[in-house]
This record gives sequence, C-alpha cells and structure tokens, in this order.
Amino acid sequence: MLFNSLTFVVFFIIVVSVYWTLKSWNARKNLLLVASYIFYGAWNPPFALLLFATSALDFYLGARIAAAVEPRRRKAWTTASVVVNLSMLGFFKYGNFLLENTQWLLAQVGIIYQPPHLNIFLPIGISFYTFHSLSYTLDVYRGVAQPTKSLRDFVLAVSFFPQLVAGPIVRAADFLPQCVAPPAPRAGRFIWGLLLMTFGLFQKTVLADTMLSGSADTIFNYPGPLNTLDAWMGVLAFSGQIFFDFAGYSTCAIGAALCLGFELRDNFRFPYAAIGFSDFWRRWHISLSTFLRDFLYIPLGGNRSGPARAAVNLIIVMFLGGLWHGAAWTFVVWGLIHGVLLVIERVCRAIFRDAAWTESLGVQVLIALVTYVAVCFTWVFFRAGDFATAARLVRAMVGFFPNGEAILTTREILQVAIVSAGLLLAHWLMRNTTIEAVVSRTPRWLVTALWAVMLFAIILNQGSGSAFIYFQF
Amino acid sequence: MAFVPFDFKRTIPDHSWRGILIIVVLLTAGPTIAWELYARSARYRPTLNDTSDLWAQARERVKPDSIVIIGDSRALFDMDLAVLEQGLGSRPVQLALAGSCAYPVLADLAADEKFRGTVICGIVPRMFFAPGGPLVEASEKALKRYRSWTPAQRVSHQLGMLAEERFAFLKERDLTLARLLEKLPIPNRTALSPPRIPPPYFQTTERDRRTRMVEECVRPGALQTRIKEGWLPLFTPPPPPSYVPKEKFLAGVGKAIEARFGDTAAAVEKIRARGGKVVFVRFPMTGKLKELEDQATPRAGPWTRLLKDTGAPGIYFEDYPELAGFDCPEWSHLSGPDSVEFTRRLVPYLKTALAGKESVK
Repeated sequence: MLFNSLTFVVFFIIVVSVYWTLKSWNARKNLLLVASYIFYGAWNPPFALLLFATSALDFYLGARIAAAVEPRRRKAWTTASVVVNLSMLGFFKYGNFLLENTQWLLAQVGIIYQPPHLNIFLPIGISFYTFHSLSYTLDVYRGVAQPTKSLRDFVLAVSFFPQLVAGPIVRAADFLPQCVAPPAPRAGRFIWGLLLMTFGLFQKTVLADTMLSGSADTIFNYPGPLNTLDAWMGVLAFSGQIFFDFAGYSTCAIGAALCLGFELRDNFRFPYAAIGFSDFWRRWHISLSTFLRDFLYIPLGGNRSGPARAAVNLIIVMFLGGLWHGAAWTFVVWGLIHGVLLVIERVCRAIFRDAAWTESLGVQVLIALVTYVAVCFTWVFFRAGDFATAARLVRAMVGFFPNGEAILTTREILQVAIVSAGLLLAHWLMRNTTIEAVVSRTPRWLVTALWAVMLFAIILNQGSGSAFIYFQF
Repeated sequence: MAFVPFDFKRTIPDHSWRGILIIVVLLTAGPTIAWELYARSARYRPTLNDTSDLWAQARERVKPDSIVIIGDSRALFDMDLAVLEQGLGSRPVQLALAGSCAYPVLADLAADEKFRGTVICGIVPRMFFAPGGPLVEASEKALKRYRSWTPAQRVSHQLGMLAEERFAFLKERDLTLARLLEKLPIPNRTALSPPRIPPPYFQTTERDRRTRMVEECVRPGALQTRIKEGWLPLFTPPPPPSYVPKEKFLAGVGKAIEARFGDTAAAVEKIRARGGKVVFVRFPMTGKLKELEDQATPRAGPWTRLLKDTGAPGIYFEDYPELAGFDCPEWSHLSGPDSVEFTRRLVPYLKTALAGKESVK
C-alpha cells in the first residue's frame, strides 16, 4: 500500500479512528498488528508469511541469546540470527546477481557454466524489515536491549506499518519500550502528525514526482551524448528527486506514527547542507548509517586500530552499504566512491586539523558546495542502470561533448533549477535546527497557509505519483 | 519488561493546532471547489480516466472464448460494445489503448494458453509497426499493471473510479499539476525539436472502457482545431537520433518492422492453433491525416503484407461504401453516434470475416 494512494487514505482513517476508540492497550496493539499485516499483504499476501517467519525466528533467537550463559552460546545464537536473516535477504535480493557473477568468474578461467535464472519475486521492503528484525537480536547480544516476552509486541515492532517497507530502520530497542504503556491521546501530537504526513506527501508527489522525476528520467534514459547543461540538470533533478522521495516517505512515516502515539527518530537532517562526507552520512538515511556504524563498522574495529585499518573498515562498510541498496555493481561503485571520499576527508582533516582558516564561513560554504557536487556525481552511479550510461553522463557533465544533444525543455530546466536552488537554500538555512523549531517560530497564519497550499497541490496532483524509489530496496 | 526508558521524544511545535486544522480544511476546500467549478465551466465533465488500472480490470474479464478488441484509439472510439454484443452474440472486452502499439497485447493473448476466442485488431500501420518507444511502452505499461496488479492497487482503482465519476477536475491528461505546468507559455530553447504533445481531453470513458468523443469536439471549434493540429506532428516520424548514423538507424528500424511482421504472424498462428480467430480492421480517418497516412503507409504496403503474412482476414473501411462515408470530426475518430452506426454496418463484415468467407478482403 502506497502512502500516496487512495487505499492508504481510507485505510489510515479507519485504523486511526478505531485505534483511538479502543480503550484496551492490548486491543490497540492487536489492531496495529492486523493493520500492519494488511498494509503489507496488500502488495502480495503470501509474503506476509515470510515477514512473520523472520520476526518469529528472531523473537525466538533473541530469547535464546538472553538465556545463554556461556559467551560461546550467545555468539552462536547471534550468528544463527545473522546468517538466517542475511541468507533470506541474499536469496531473494541477490540470488540471480550471485549466479550471474559466478558464471562470469568461471568464464574467466575457462569454465562454461549456465546457471538457471531463478524466477524470484523480491518481497517489498525486505531490506528494511530484515534490518528491523536483525537489530533486535544484535542489540540483545550487545546488552543494549533485553528480550521482550511478548511475541505480539515484537512482531508489531518489526511490521509497524508506517516504517515497514521503506524505513526509517527502526530498531526494536527503540520501539519495544513504547509498547509498554499506552500513549495518552493528544490533539497537538495527532495534528502535527497529520501536518508531517502532508509535508511528506507534498515532497513525494509534488516536488519529486511532478517537478523533478520527468527531467531525471529523460536524461538518464537518453542513449546518446548530452550537452553539459542537460546532463547537469538531469543529475540535479535526480539528486532532488531521491531526497524528496525518500525524505518524503520518512516524514510520512514519522507523521503516521505520531498520529498513533509512537515516536520515530529522524531519518534525514538537511543532508545537502553537509560540510564534508562524514557530515553527509550523519544527515542522510541516518537510520541506515547508524545501523552500519553500530553493527558493522564498530565490530570491524572502527577507528580503534589506527587510521589505515579505519580506512579499510570504512571502505568495507560503504561497499556493503552500496550493495544493500541493490543487486548491481553500479550500487557497489556508488558505495565505494562514498567510502573513498570519506577516507579522503579523514586524510584532509588530519592534514588541516590545526588550520583555523578552515573554520571560516567562506571555506565552510565552499566545502559544502564541493560535498554537494561530489554527491551529485555519485548519484549518477546510483541511478544509471549500467556503467555505460554512467560513464556517458559523467563525461557529459565535465564537458566532454560540446555538441551533445539538448533534450530538456526550457520549462523543465527552470523547474529543476528553481527546486534545486530552493532545496539547497532551505537545507543551508536549516542545517543547525529542526523543522519543529522552525515551525514553532513561524507565525500561525503562515503555518496554516503553507499547510493548505501543500494540501491543495497534492489534490491538484490527482494521485498521479509513482511508487517510492526506496521500495525497490 | 526490563527495557531502559525510551529517551527520545519528538517535539511538538507550540501552536493552537485544532484551530489551524479547521482553517486548513476550509482553506483547502475553497480552492478545490473553485477548481471543480472552473473545470466544469471549461467543458470538462466527470468521467473515468483511461488508466492502466481500468485496462487491467478489462483484461481480467477476458475469458477463454471472449471477443477482444485490441488496437489504438480508433478501435477504442469507433466500436460500440452494445451493438457488437447484439451482432456477435457476446459483449466484447475492450482492450484497445489510445496512443499505443497493439502488438504487445496481441502477443500477450497469443501467449495466454487458455485464450481461444476472437481478436478484433485495429490497425494504424505507423502505430502497430512501431519498433519501440512510447507507443510500445504504453501497451507494456498496461500489461505490466495487469500482470502485477496488487490488492492495494485494485482498491485504489475502485475508489478512484468513484471519485472520477463525480469530479470533473480529475483529468489526468489535462488538469494535473504536471500538465498545467506544461501549458505555461515558456518559449523553448532553439536547439530543441518541437515537443510531441498528446491531444487534450476529448472523450468520455465508461467502466467497460466504452469511449465516446465529447460533443465539444464533434462541433467545429477551438477544441476540434487544436486536436486536428496536434495529429500531424504526432503522425510525422521524428528525425533520426543524432547519435546513430542515419543509415544505420533506418536499417535498424527496417529490421524491427520485418521482425514485427514475423512475430505478428506467429502470434496469430498461435491463437488460431487453439481454435481462436483474428481479424484486422482499418478504421476511418479523414482530412489531412488521411493524406499523411495514405502517403506514408499506403494500403498496398503494410496492410496488404500483414494480411498476406498472417493469412488473417482484414476489413479496410474504404473497400465498402457503407463503411467509407463517415466523417471524422477531428480527422482521426468517429463521433459517438457515428461510432454506433459504423459498428452496426461493420458487424456483417466481421461475421463474414470470422466465418472465414471469401467476400472479406
């Protein structure tokens, strides 16, 4: 079920109405559980069973980990959870990718191997819910969380519909404590949740789908050489589209959860105002970067074993982070480039550690611009379906084709330019604050007017938006 | 439970939210009502959008022995389902799709092992033999929706139809924000080829996809003129892309068209092998559009070859005085009343063709 669909509007109205009518907290949680499985099953009902199986297994393993006295046993149960979860993810998401690459590798040594093409249907949101579930056993193992005794609560934590299919990756340790006591009904929280949902849908349907996606698709699907302006406009369009699409989903998720009295952490913090790449990853898809930090980077040794080892760890983390996004080498390269950029940044920080001039506003703005431009280059690999497209686009961006084709209309260029400029300005102005703080300072009439404008724009859009980009991950 | 207390709390901005919500509802309802009134004053009427969902719903109605109409917008506008039902004994399923190449749908029916019914396939050679691009993508998009139609999409479609039958402003081809932005009078860059703009809203669509031209388009006027002017650029082939040598490009297109003849013959044979039937129909066109089509794809060209390669019967409107005298108000489609009359006159020829008699050319 898409947030930007009529089905969801009706579904949400029914769920919220019944939820706040019920007196019993258990009944409310049961309702949320059923609603979450309906939400998920509305795509492909049989995959709801897989979701339940994943959750039930980790519930059981979490209890085993907690009950195990010997460290060796604790580790064994945790390893079982990691292996089963990643195997499930690997089979559905990377099965064909692995077979194709095995075929290629064997061909390099002269072995002809014709693997079967597995007709695998990717369960929607599997990357997200696998991490929701896995975070529980890992946190129990780390001693950060104790296991819950309620299977219902845990299954709800994994499947809670606002964050189920495209994040944020909500850790069970953040969600389960909220299952203990019922939230009190509060009109302000509920209406603020509705405003966040409107804002999220506005970002997705109006800014991402209507204003930017057409130009991005035109440029990335064009098979010939492009002129520099068009190539840049296409990449800027995608850079804005993916932000509004994904941040829009996260904002909707946070809003929907608030309407039900649950609190989810931010997933984005104005990332295009990042000063440096480590700052970017503290602001972009925060729930994934913190997951990778806590469960991969730190266990690998983090930066405790010297700068060289830390650099290797960073590259490994970003390699896997890239692969998490999709079974394609273009995603891997995207992750690896980010890894290399993070390492370069660390080197620069070490060299210029004591230089006061790096703190001046001009230099900070310059670094922010360099960061944004570099991030845009990496988006080329993220969006392009293959390396030939990516290479052609990168060459066009650096002026390789002076006679390249102009294919975007003036209107499309204006749309991309205006939205991108507005996006960068908004991120820069808000980089050290929160949306809640800004709304608190904004006069009531302006909040009202902006909300009405967003709502009317969504209505004008007529639900013509597409699925969220991150659903495919 | 022994969890540490959840330390994260979202801040709720300090405003009187109840008052804000009430005013927001009123402020949004006002412009929405005004927009609806404007849409109605500007000739729009509540009717369904011909979406991939509506197509998928129709495709699901195909039974093994169904009569199925496929093709482009002419097969969509020019055939009356009730008259066909009367004449042929069962109500056909309308699967023709505006601005599309029908081949992917024909191939889909051929691949459907259960299907052994009758296919009435409208032919506009430039569209049916399109080697790729938006015409083929339009059919593939609809097929993709049919093949992966989720329960959530089905419910959204049902709710969407309820809304579209009540609100005139719900016109996805004309009145969405994206379409409104496209209408901004912004002069284009000189380097750019003129954009190929699809025609504006000029039809009503029912739940079984029966489609009729709106009255405003039947009468001479601004809408009719605008649509007429739109056809010629749309039916003129675009220039070859600059990144492929012209000869190579044209050779590639030629090869793809050749392959399409072969694939079509194979698809028709598959349907026939299961006891099904296929008949091709060339629907009326007039004015400058007819001149353009006759010049670019003369009857002796693709149409004749199609019938020869497939061995299927064909009905070319110009061959029969009863079918040839119709006027297409905007050169490409029949008006609603004419489509009823045209179908009535077409039925005997369809029956003859489907009976395998020689009189149909």
